[in-house]
Amino acid sequence: MNTTTVPDKAAGWLSCPDCEAPCRDRPLPKNAELRCTRCGVRVKIARGRHSLQPAWAFATAGLFVALLANVEPIMTFDVAGDTQSNHIISGVIELARQGYGPVAALVAFAGIIAPTLHLSAIWYVASACCLRSRWPAVHRVAAAVEMLEPWNLVPVYAIATVVAVVKLDMMGTVDWQAGALWILALSLCSLCASQAFDRELVEERLEALK
Amino acid sequence: MKMSDAARLQWAQAMVVTGLVLYVPANVLPVMTMSIVGTVEPLTVLGGVEELYDSGLWPMAAVVFLASIVVPFLKLASLSWILLMHGKPVLQRQRSSLRRIVHSIGSWSMVDVFLLAVLAAVGQLGALAGVKAEPGGFFFATVLVCSLLATEFYKPRMIWQTNPTP
Repeated sequence: MNTTTVPDKAAGWLSCPDCEAPCRDRPLPKNAELRCTRCGVRVKIARGRHSLQPAWAFATAGLFVALLANVEPIMTFDVAGDTQSNHIISGVIELARQGYGPVAALVAFAGIIAPTLHLSAIWYVASACCLRSRWPAVHRVAAAVEMLEPWNLVPVYAIATVVAVVKLDMMGTVDWQAGALWILALSLCSLCASQAFDRELVEERLEALK
Repeated sequence: MKMSDAARLQWAQAMVVTGLVLYVPANVLPVMTMSIVGTVEPLTVLGGVEELYDSGLWPMAAVVFLASIVVPFLKLASLSWILLMHGKPVLQRQRSSLRRIVHSIGSWSMVDVFLLAVLAAVGQLGALAGVKAEPGGFFFATVLVCSLLATEFYKPRMIWQTNPTP
């Protein structure tokens, strides 16, 4: 069966984040990485990063941008003088109204709820680390960041918007509105925030807070 | 979520089989009907790609084709292979890198669901232009959720478990 030995961090053993095999820890030169000998995934990288402030900054900016992206209209569509504009939420409402509740829920979750929760979780953990204060349930929120990351699908939503504009252009006149730009900004903030949110650095900082 | 590994394996298998079955109606049934000034046009996923290609936007057609037809199928096919190989002590490294790739590209199939949401939102101009969601969209969304849950249930460490008896 599976190797069930729990790797002891103090004795210099790490657990592979993917296959959970024990890996021997060793000091690394800058930008070198430690790979799992069994599955080949990266266990640790010496990035030489010392701060979570970029992650904090991107998450703060992202939360403001998320508000704007949800409030401003994305585009206006015009057929023979009849005009309609839309928000992210109006697609959800329309799908629910037409009787496709589960699809509407999926769009609401992956397009609005998960991205906001993901950024808030990064913001919470990065703030706690940067301010060096012990906030409640920080460890659980840090685990939630990992769980929510694949659900932050705002970049995919941005692509879908572009495709939609191309399709609607065949039928009538489409005009971009400010919301489209905010969605683009939100995708960039999300990507940068999760890039800057270094898992090992967070673990190290949280360990120091204890 | 506390689950035994045996239960995880069973759930993952159930999800993949459901996904494979629903992949058929997801691609055969129309995802939406678009009506422009009187003409009503039901669109399947593939039909939407063709329409984009015909209007000369082949890069965009390629993106939608890859994201909504090729990726969901490849994802289900690779997951079936990974699950069928469970417990065999061969090709474990290949299986775990395949699982990682599947996991990272899987979410791009959501492009079609979002597209449906955006089009449905603006296509409410009464008799002039209308976009209505159709059952295909529901099946399509179910296929995505099934394959996503299957990757969640089957943990990467389970690739490295081998059967005690050969």
